[in-house]
Amino acid sequence: MAGLEAGKLLPTAAQEIPARVQLAAVAWLRWRIFINSTFRRRTTGTRQAVGLAFAILVRIMVWPFLALMVIGPIGGSGFFAWMAIAGNHPQRLAPLLAAITLLWLFVSVNGQNMAAVVSNFDPSSLIRFPLRFGRYLVLRTFIGVLTASTIVGCLALLAAAVGIGVAKPALTLPALVVLAIYALMNVFLMRMIGAWMERWLANRRFREIFSVLMALTVVGFQFLNFQRPSSHGGIGGRSSWVLRILHSSGSQLHWLPPGFAANAILQVSHPIAALTQFVGLLASTALFAAVFAIRLHKQFLGEYLSEGASRRANERSSQRNAARPQRAGAVAKIAPAENARPAFPPIVAACLRKEWLTLRGNGAQLIGMLTPLVFVVILNRSVFQGHSTYFLPGAIAYVLFGVLAGLYNIFGADGLGVQVYLLAPIRLRDVIVAKNLMSLAVIVTEAGLAWLLVSVLARTPIPLATQVSTGLWTIFVIGVNLALGTMRSIQAPRRFVPGQAQRRRMTPTNRTSGLLIMLVLFGSMALQVPVTLLCRYFNDPWLGAWIFGPLAFAAVAAYALLLHNADRFILAHRDVFAEELCKA
Amino acid sequence: MTTPAIDTAALTRRFGEFTAVQDVNLRVDAGQFFGFLGPNGAGKSTTIKMLTGLLAPTSGSIRILGEDLTQNSAEVKRQIGVVPEGMALFGRLTAEEYLRFVGRMYGLDRATTVQRTQELLEFMQLADERKKLITDFSHGMQKKLAMAAAVIHGPRVLFLDEPFEGVDAVAAGTLKAMLQRMIARGATVFLTSHVLEIVERLCTHVAIIHRGQLVAQGSLEELRAGQARADGSSPPGGKQRSLEEIFLEIVGTDREGNPAATAPEQELSWLG
Repeated sequence: MAGLEAGKLLPTAAQEIPARVQLAAVAWLRWRIFINSTFRRRTTGTRQAVGLAFAILVRIMVWPFLALMVIGPIGGSGFFAWMAIAGNHPQRLAPLLAAITLLWLFVSVNGQNMAAVVSNFDPSSLIRFPLRFGRYLVLRTFIGVLTASTIVGCLALLAAAVGIGVAKPALTLPALVVLAIYALMNVFLMRMIGAWMERWLANRRFREIFSVLMALTVVGFQFLNFQRPSSHGGIGGRSSWVLRILHSSGSQLHWLPPGFAANAILQVSHPIAALTQFVGLLASTALFAAVFAIRLHKQFLGEYLSEGASRRANERSSQRNAARPQRAGAVAKIAPAENARPAFPPIVAACLRKEWLTLRGNGAQLIGMLTPLVFVVILNRSVFQGHSTYFLPGAIAYVLFGVLAGLYNIFGADGLGVQVYLLAPIRLRDVIVAKNLMSLAVIVTEAGLAWLLVSVLARTPIPLATQVSTGLWTIFVIGVNLALGTMRSIQAPRRFVPGQAQRRRMTPTNRTSGLLIMLVLFGSMALQVPVTLLCRYFNDPWLGAWIFGPLAFAAVAAYALLLHNADRFILAHRDVFAEELCKA
Repeated sequence: MTTPAIDTAALTRRFGEFTAVQDVNLRVDAGQFFGFLGPNGAGKSTTIKMLTGLLAPTSGSIRILGEDLTQNSAEVKRQIGVVPEGMALFGRLTAEEYLRFVGRMYGLDRATTVQRTQELLEFMQLADERKKLITDFSHGMQKKLAMAAAVIHGPRVLFLDEPFEGVDAVAAGTLKAMLQRMIARGATVFLTSHVLEIVERLCTHVAIIHRGQLVAQGSLEELRAGQARADGSSPPGGKQRSLEEIFLEIVGTDREGNPAATAPEQELSWLG
């Protein structure tokens, strides 16, 4: 440790640390985080091989979707830009640029929300290093640029420039220059929004509200999409609707950056007009950059703007709680009268109450539960229009799909708190029963509401055979997933910390059982399809009930058997349980 | 008169209507091993965040090694090392990668960074865990790594927020030896800890913060003699008292001097 004498080897204060050194260090940091997150595995041998095979399988499945999400906007931008110029509809260019910005914003904001959840790198932590503000600003901008939204946005604008150039070669150079500035403006706009959201998203309540808003936006968009009159028919009808919106928004965009950019390209033959529009675009870019810089400067100085607000809210809440008078009967309510027969054994009741309080405090989850029901309405107007026989099982399957996944990690959200269950003189079976009861209450409520909606919305009465068959199938699906979910929750639990969901990497057991979950979840749901086909083939609507009846019974029996052996099962897996959930 | 390593004047931090730290006047001379004590929520972490430039004071000034922290934050940050409350590690790096990153951020050249990284990994007994990601480290290992990162650039003032929390006895011994050696070479160490025995054994000077206000400051001897108390009161009895006794006596009373907590025998009678 000879080299660590205080201050001895430190560059003297007069020597500035070269900017390239710090920039390179941060770039290298990001690169190593990416590599380590993507390729590193902590296991060896066969487990590593299984993990690697699974990772490759997942990538093969996921990448085509990602590629479509990237290629779609890029190809679309190029095509629409070409169409606007070649088809002599220059007024459509500004709406196209606005659409690219909106897409950029949507992906960026969602990415920001996701980053708050999955991020393992907090760029604001860089302020502890010896940086001057200018360098910090560059670093933060640079870090923000390395995101999917920026890359896709920039490529979409490049495609638009190419599209314009192909349609009218004389516009190639102006389009490239103007759209490069437009891309820069978007970068600063996104960074500006991101810098504010970054702080707000640190607040759990805001994050929940935001998630709900985004979910509602998606649902609302889907709803509007299916609300479009179908008289025009299919894709042609929808694209003409899109074009109408693009066409009508052109005049509103005239005084906004998309309008500045579009006019700066289109009015290139009138230099003064084009220059004026270009200056407007530059001014917008400078404005966004300045607002971003102001926010970052406050952060650089250690001024967390929303912290005070957050604390004030907490204080107000504490004051309200303190001021609230103690109810006289409160104690009596907690301790039931000795002669009253409680609905549940005390341990189950206590755990149920804890689960209810957790659920009640999670606003996003509660409101998120309503989303599938909205989709049931949408499904009625689209996929199942005129097919009331398939509507009920389809709607129930859709609703169940979202809620059943939670059964596979019932201890995950308890994290370190799970130790209470292990240390307390209780049977863990009671805890599992309580958790499953709460899950069942949620599932039954959702499925019941979906059933009710279907009954109201269906244009023709749903046959009794379909209702019985669907009911038994629902019991079967819930039973199977409850049994396997509980087993998996014990065998391969995964700690879930809101705000840090992906920070802990998956073990091979997690990955393998993750594949199993997908198979069981999809399989049990998809079983409805061949059974329905069989019913049609044999022209016997009650066949489904005959098939699903025994299956439902078997699933419930399997769950009961698992519950009976739950304590022994947990004991056998306590090492994994403690390793994953109890480790600080 | 030498330039103090840390010098604050009327340092105050408010969060809305809540005052976390109020009018703190700290003076830590160069070469001191300084312990900063206080009960939970007293304002220790807020103070240390302000002293290291992570949180802006609402009012007051901070000078580190004679430099104004607000005016010359980059220069000051080059002279200090910090083990912050949450350790601020990047979980998806290995220890070696993390130390190399920190070294480069502090302007060390590549060769020095690599050399010091190896030395520190050996010293902290982390060299055998080269391929392990930080996220898979135990709490104690993470603490040692955070400490290594805090000293890689050879800081003149070291700020440590609960440095021994979760560290095993062997590692704690190693860390203490390293800190003592840094002090011997002229560095200043400013640490917060809940373990009063550690502070008593390591620190030469102590300050106690209570409800955001500095209630005592001075050398351990001055504290024992009652000369360091902000209200100037003398301690009862003349025997040599432990830091724990002094601490409890000072923070165990409210601002009017009444016992802060209800007497234990009046509560939890059901405990048997």
